[in-house]
Amino acid sequence: MNYKNFGRILIILAFSLASCNDYLDTEPEGYISAGNSTAESANGLVIAAYAGIANDDMIGPMTSMWVYGSVRSDDAYKGGGGVGDVADVNFYEQYNLTTPSQVWMGAYTWENFYAAISRANAALRSLNELKDEDFIPSSLRKIRIAEARFLRAHSHFVMKQIFKNIPFIDETLSNEDILKTKNNQLTNDQLWNKIGDDFKYAMDNLPESQPEVGRVNKYAATAYLAKLRLYQAYEQDASNKVTGITAARLNEVVTLTQSVIASGKYRLQPDFAENFLDGFDNGPESVFAVQFSISDGTSAGRLSFVTGLNYPTGASQYGCCGFHQPSQSLVNAFATDAAGLPKFNTFNNVELSAADITPKGVTVDPRIDHTVGMDGHPYKYRNDAAYIFKNGWVRDPGVYGFFQSMKEQQAADCSCYKKLGPFMGTSKNIDIIRYADVLLMQAEAYIELGQQDKAMPLINQIRVRAASSTGRTKFADGTPPSNYKIAQYDGVNLPWTKENARMALQWERRLEFAMESPRFFDLVRWGIAEPTLNAYLAKEKTRRAFLGSAKFTAGRDEYFPIPQREIDFTKGLYVQNPGY
Amino acid sequence: MKKTDCIPFQVGLKKILRIMKITAFIVFILSMQVYAKSFGQTEKLNLSMNSTIKDVIERIEEVSGYRFVLKYNASILDKKVDVKYTNESIERVLDDLLKETGFTYKIVDRYIAIRPVNETEVIDQQQKSVSGKVIDSSGIPVPGVSVVVVGTTNGTITDGDGGYSITNIPANATLQFSFVGMKTQMVEVGNKTSINVTMDEEAIGLDEVIAVGYGTQKKADLTGAISVVKMESLKSVSLSSGNSMQALQGRVPGLYIEKTGSPTGAPSRILIRGVNTLGDPNPLYIIDGVPTKRPEVFQSLNPGSIESVQVLKDASASSIYGARASNGVIIVTTNNGSKKNGEVSIQYNSNFSMQSEKNQRFKMVNAEDRGKILWQASVNDRVNPADGYGAIYGFDWNNDYNNPVLNKVTVKPFVGGDPNVPVGDTDWQAEAYKTGYVTNNDITISGGNDKSSALLGMGYIKNTGMMKYTNYDRISARLNAQTSVFQGKIKVGMNTQMVSSNETLQCPDLGSSPTPGLAINLAPTIPMYTLTGEYAGPIGSGYSDRNNPVHMQYLNRWDNTNRTFLFGNVFTEISPMKNLVFRSTLGIDYSMVNNKNIEQRFTEGFIARAVNSLRNINSNFTSVSWSNTLNYKLDFGQSKVAVLAGIESVGDNFKDITAYKEGFAVQTEEFFVLSAGTANGNSFGTAQSSRLFSQFGKVEYAFSDKYLATATLRRDGSSRFGANNRYGLFPAATLGWRISAEPFMANLTQISNLKLRAGAGRVGNQDVGSFASLGLYEPRYGATAFEGAGIPHVGFFDQYRNVGTAYDITGSNTGNLPSGFVSVQAANPSLRWESTKEFNIGLDFGIFNNKLIGAFDYFTRETSDILIRPPVASAVGEGQLQFLNGATKTNKGWELSLSYAGGKRDADFTYNISASAGHFKDKITVLPEEVRTGYPGNAEQSIIGHSELSVFGYVTDGLFQNAAEVAAHASQPGAAPGRIRYKDLNGDKKVDALDQKFIGTLLPAMEYSLRIELNYKNFDLAIFGSGVAGKTGYCPYIQMNNFVRGRDNAAPGLFNAWSPSNTNSTIPALTLSDNNSEFRTSDYFMINASYFKLRNISLGYKVPASALKKIGVVKELRVYAMADNVFWITSKEWQGPDPERTDVNTIPIPRTISFGVNVSF
Repeated sequence: MNYKNFGRILIILAFSLASCNDYLDTEPEGYISAGNSTAESANGLVIAAYAGIANDDMIGPMTSMWVYGSVRSDDAYKGGGGVGDVADVNFYEQYNLTTPSQVWMGAYTWENFYAAISRANAALRSLNELKDEDFIPSSLRKIRIAEARFLRAHSHFVMKQIFKNIPFIDETLSNEDILKTKNNQLTNDQLWNKIGDDFKYAMDNLPESQPEVGRVNKYAATAYLAKLRLYQAYEQDASNKVTGITAARLNEVVTLTQSVIASGKYRLQPDFAENFLDGFDNGPESVFAVQFSISDGTSAGRLSFVTGLNYPTGASQYGCCGFHQPSQSLVNAFATDAAGLPKFNTFNNVELSAADITPKGVTVDPRIDHTVGMDGHPYKYRNDAAYIFKNGWVRDPGVYGFFQSMKEQQAADCSCYKKLGPFMGTSKNIDIIRYADVLLMQAEAYIELGQQDKAMPLINQIRVRAASSTGRTKFADGTPPSNYKIAQYDGVNLPWTKENARMALQWERRLEFAMESPRFFDLVRWGIAEPTLNAYLAKEKTRRAFLGSAKFTAGRDEYFPIPQREIDFTKGLYVQNPGY
Repeated sequence: MKKTDCIPFQVGLKKILRIMKITAFIVFILSMQVYAKSFGQTEKLNLSMNSTIKDVIERIEEVSGYRFVLKYNASILDKKVDVKYTNESIERVLDDLLKETGFTYKIVDRYIAIRPVNETEVIDQQQKSVSGKVIDSSGIPVPGVSVVVVGTTNGTITDGDGGYSITNIPANATLQFSFVGMKTQMVEVGNKTSINVTMDEEAIGLDEVIAVGYGTQKKADLTGAISVVKMESLKSVSLSSGNSMQALQGRVPGLYIEKTGSPTGAPSRILIRGVNTLGDPNPLYIIDGVPTKRPEVFQSLNPGSIESVQVLKDASASSIYGARASNGVIIVTTNNGSKKNGEVSIQYNSNFSMQSEKNQRFKMVNAEDRGKILWQASVNDRVNPADGYGAIYGFDWNNDYNNPVLNKVTVKPFVGGDPNVPVGDTDWQAEAYKTGYVTNNDITISGGNDKSSALLGMGYIKNTGMMKYTNYDRISARLNAQTSVFQGKIKVGMNTQMVSSNETLQCPDLGSSPTPGLAINLAPTIPMYTLTGEYAGPIGSGYSDRNNPVHMQYLNRWDNTNRTFLFGNVFTEISPMKNLVFRSTLGIDYSMVNNKNIEQRFTEGFIARAVNSLRNINSNFTSVSWSNTLNYKLDFGQSKVAVLAGIESVGDNFKDITAYKEGFAVQTEEFFVLSAGTANGNSFGTAQSSRLFSQFGKVEYAFSDKYLATATLRRDGSSRFGANNRYGLFPAATLGWRISAEPFMANLTQISNLKLRAGAGRVGNQDVGSFASLGLYEPRYGATAFEGAGIPHVGFFDQYRNVGTAYDITGSNTGNLPSGFVSVQAANPSLRWESTKEFNIGLDFGIFNNKLIGAFDYFTRETSDILIRPPVASAVGEGQLQFLNGATKTNKGWELSLSYAGGKRDADFTYNISASAGHFKDKITVLPEEVRTGYPGNAEQSIIGHSELSVFGYVTDGLFQNAAEVAAHASQPGAAPGRIRYKDLNGDKKVDALDQKFIGTLLPAMEYSLRIELNYKNFDLAIFGSGVAGKTGYCPYIQMNNFVRGRDNAAPGLFNAWSPSNTNSTIPALTLSDNNSEFRTSDYFMINASYFKLRNISLGYKVPASALKKIGVVKELRVYAMADNVFWITSKEWQGPDPERTDVNTIPIPRTISFGVNVSF
């Protein structure tokens, strides 16, 4: 080798890498940077926004509110393996939310909904950059905007139901603006209006029907706006006390629900069961539902696992984990008197068990066999021997008794089920608003407006459907497992005063939506959470020792605390809810 | 002659030989010629120099392979000569060179001895001759050993076979055998005529040359905090785990290793000087010059192929590695066979071990006793025990909650009333574990000379696993080879390591509960099998939804992770002129991981999986590095300068592919391939890459071998960082003072070595995602949070949480869905390096002729701009997290090592005692407010000023004895007699989150170790123990022994729980409802976890050479027996069996008994 050339070789070697900036420029693979919008990308962002409201989390629920609305009410217990199993929910149930550092459930629900809101806002920013002409047909842009605003409103609405004081985030806010947006920036009423504006825009800009059934339409927005106005009608002060009911809002509820009813697009399912059975998704009663799917190319399927803890635990065809068990009070509430009406005042004097609820036992509303799994009754409309519910299926009866939830479950061999680990996810949709709710919202508005007579046929529609919903609940030999008796109101069997009508409506809502979890939010809306729940606890704790120290504190327990970590993240910008 | 006359002789010899050795190290000039007797005799020299004889001699050494030995400190060395030879014989050159110098030479083999011409060999009839052979500890002949009659100038050197013969020896003479790098030996001749000597290598000579990063340095000249571990001294360490990291434990002060009992032998935590970042604390490994952050590369090296390991602990030592060095650097040099002097040697090691976890088991109760405990807890809660547990137990009691009396507990005969499942009384730990057997065999063949050499190594380890159906095996191979051409001007070589391993490890049950925990906690009433022979599981109420752990392991027995590595380099070294070396190294670090996870269909009690599935995950990681360095050494009289300059590029690429399929008709191992699945399936894949480009330089300066200084500078550019801060500069400087070389120390003969070192430097850390600075959107069709990167959540539930962008908008319920995009990361173009500044001061000392040696180091470091990804308010929305340079930590500590070599060198009995201790204490000093909630602390006290691994919790104050005590105490929800009393630390009359404080740290304040090695004749005994002090740790047994967990089994301590009639207990009254939240973090669980463990005892026996002679080929044979994890001492508070087992979900560290042989041929 010629050593004189050596230096040159070294220099060449050394500088062959000198263009290091090129060497250091690497591009991420499988990602895109935020760039110019197209109609295609905007459509994709709207789809992602729909997915956002369905990105449910077992420990941060978004669709089923069983943790927040059912267990917190007089309808249900946490269930599962003792009070320590998913202890956060036990604290909810015991109204013991001052225990710090709770992250499961509330904090994740908060996070998940704001993730969904940010997806809607990302879609809106993209849609706002585009022009109508970019879309074919050009009307599509406004429709997509309306959909995104509907989805954003839905997220804000559910958050407001749970936490009351929440920051309202729209697409005009930058990240810096968002971090300056307080959770009490708006008054209670202003916040309702802000959310309502989104629903109103959606109502005004959405078509009456959409080619894709999963998209929201004009009437979904109308019904949701009615629901919002109904909540808004009950004015609350800063300590969550209902101070009055605004007639103007109630009138809006009537108008809006009338529009939905008059559209003729919706009706009650012939059988109550069909609202809770696979195969009837997006049926005539479903006004707005969150869509789930299975075998769809995703890793787990876009299944709902939000009730994945709630299967009867001991049944070999199920597996886990026996959460969300009906309370004794709820089971008692299904009993009817000789006239077939609820036992408004005496229902809770007894302690009904499966031994009482038999073909020859106490008379009950048929909806009990759609709602409550109990020993000896067919579970989920299946009367083959393997599906007859047994006490042995109950996980921890010593703490939570022998009843098990049923509406949110399917028969174990349902093709809509997928078992992942111990939990079963389902592709069954979760209805956010079904037509029965529209009818009862209208009835409630009429009653509070003093036009209770107009409410009676609405309530009776619900009861008639309930009465006829016995085809699926029976034993293999065709006999019913319970002694059904249910009648319509006729003004005589219950004098139809405003107070009685209100009592009937509230009862009807409890039974119709039992274990579907609006109960707690209803009680808070009506302003009767404290008396109702403390009365319930006074009785229930004599039956269930674990409730021994539970107590509802008015002015605090109507809402959940703002998650502490959000207060920390905003360096104290958010104000904690009263009482916490 | 007078005795002192021999001194110049030795100095001269050593000096030249040292030169020889260093040159041999730096300029590897070898050829592939096989060594032969005639070596060099016919070789012709080309020389053209005008220099001193010393330089000429060195030059001849370089180009010819001859080695010179001087018998005198010859003044001729400095004589200037002008030589010019072309194709000349060595004899002719030497004749000319020594002409008129009064010296002559003698060529013995390839050694050239130079001695005065006038030295006459006096022949004395009364004097005698001695001959013999010199071998090293592995039985290989050592040529070139100087053999001198002490007190005379009479001597010789050994030939190529290690043989020597020396005449004219007076009576009562003593022979001195010496060779660089080996211990000098004195042997009395007496009336022996044959003396064979085995030379032992010196542990770490100060003249030892070690790798310090892109170059080498003499140990004597080191100025940074560097620990050197010679692997040859590790042969007595059990490698039953097959993991070289095991051998380092307790040998490097400041290196902290936590282990588990996994059959892979992989440690769970490796820290150098504690935790210095909030991110990945793993050190950087440099193996034969190739960087990797994958600890498994080092862990899978066969100890036989490792030449040495250096641990660079402080920033001044490691800053030459810049942006990746902040957690310390472990430099590994593998053996290349070049020291074999032409011989081929074969080293074979075989080890057989038996591993058992019996001593680490938790004592749990039997089925009936559990019933008694559940009864007591139920009646304490005033709950009918039959409501909760009537399906499992019959309770015969007086039904009086005020005065409960239990007559009898009967276990129901069948689980869940199923006549096919008779109740069990199962000891799940005994069922889940068995004795594990480990066989570990490796063979290393090496040979060559200093021109060409090669090393071939193969190893195979198999561990049958202690937990049933777990196992691990690994095959590894190494090929190192090098040669030189053009008279040694150019050297080329390669070092490669190939490893393939298979592992089947512990697995989780259907509900993600790991089997080691289930093997402790599962209810004993569940039997192993049903009557019909299936695995049994829970049936009926009262049971948890957890599975039979043995069944889970059985179901997962076909699961397998196959890891294949290829690691190594090809290099060339070019020495165009004296003292200048250019080196170019192309390195590869390749890893392929194939994971197969089969989930079988099964039914076990009420738990079932209806759909079976197969998931294959394949990932490929390739890191290609190319480094080019120039080393230049200059001597100006007393000053020596070494300069290094270099550039390096590292490119990493990672890809993974996951494929998933359901519905396999047949459940056999062979049938589970993707195409055999007929139901739902999907696939995923990601790709990532990053680049690093660096320039660096280093200057070493030594004056008079007393004053030492080093300066380094590295500039790194990383693709991971924002355009605004892509480059980082990492400087360091050190100073050293060899005090012992000062004249004023000359009288202090006890002190043989004393060196003061000080250094300061800065290093970096770049371990963030590959594209951490960019704002990104991704199409995330249908991922769960489990699959999405960087979505913070609760791990277990992530698999149930959709985070995708696809939606069933058509309501069709199935099939392909429309999908969109989602933001996954906000941009931060200003993202920059995490940097660590460190100051280190150290003292090395050797006393009593280096019999006692030691080192002390003190350091302080500050890591700033720590890369964190703080959470932001959720209102900002999805995928808006970004990496920031937000936090600062400090760390201080010291390390001390001492070692004493006792016994006379050639005595039958020698011993060596070494001890080390280290202390480090980290402290977070800056932490953004929004991330503080992620660390221990509360609204009033933050982690600032405390260790990252602090424990924050409540302070207990015994149990409430009666209602009056409850009333007198601050309001505490759940307070009652028999319950734990928590201190109202802030005195606000209520016990809440504010009544917590920092109660300790999970990292120990001090770790220490002690090693004793004894040698008696052919026996060697080594004892090694280490421990930690000042560690707070979680004791899992307290949860079992002091609290009832209604679904789990219980431990016997519960029979001594508090009750109104047993008020002296520290165990709270039994309850099933825990209204007092007693599982909160408190000093009840977080206790003193200090311990000392006797980790290893080994006893070896070397078969005497005389016996081996009969066998012939075997040069050395040693057999040994060993025990690991022998016994331990814990604090009084510690209740569990093993203080290192703080997590019941890991397989415990076994006690191991091993037997093995080391054979060399």
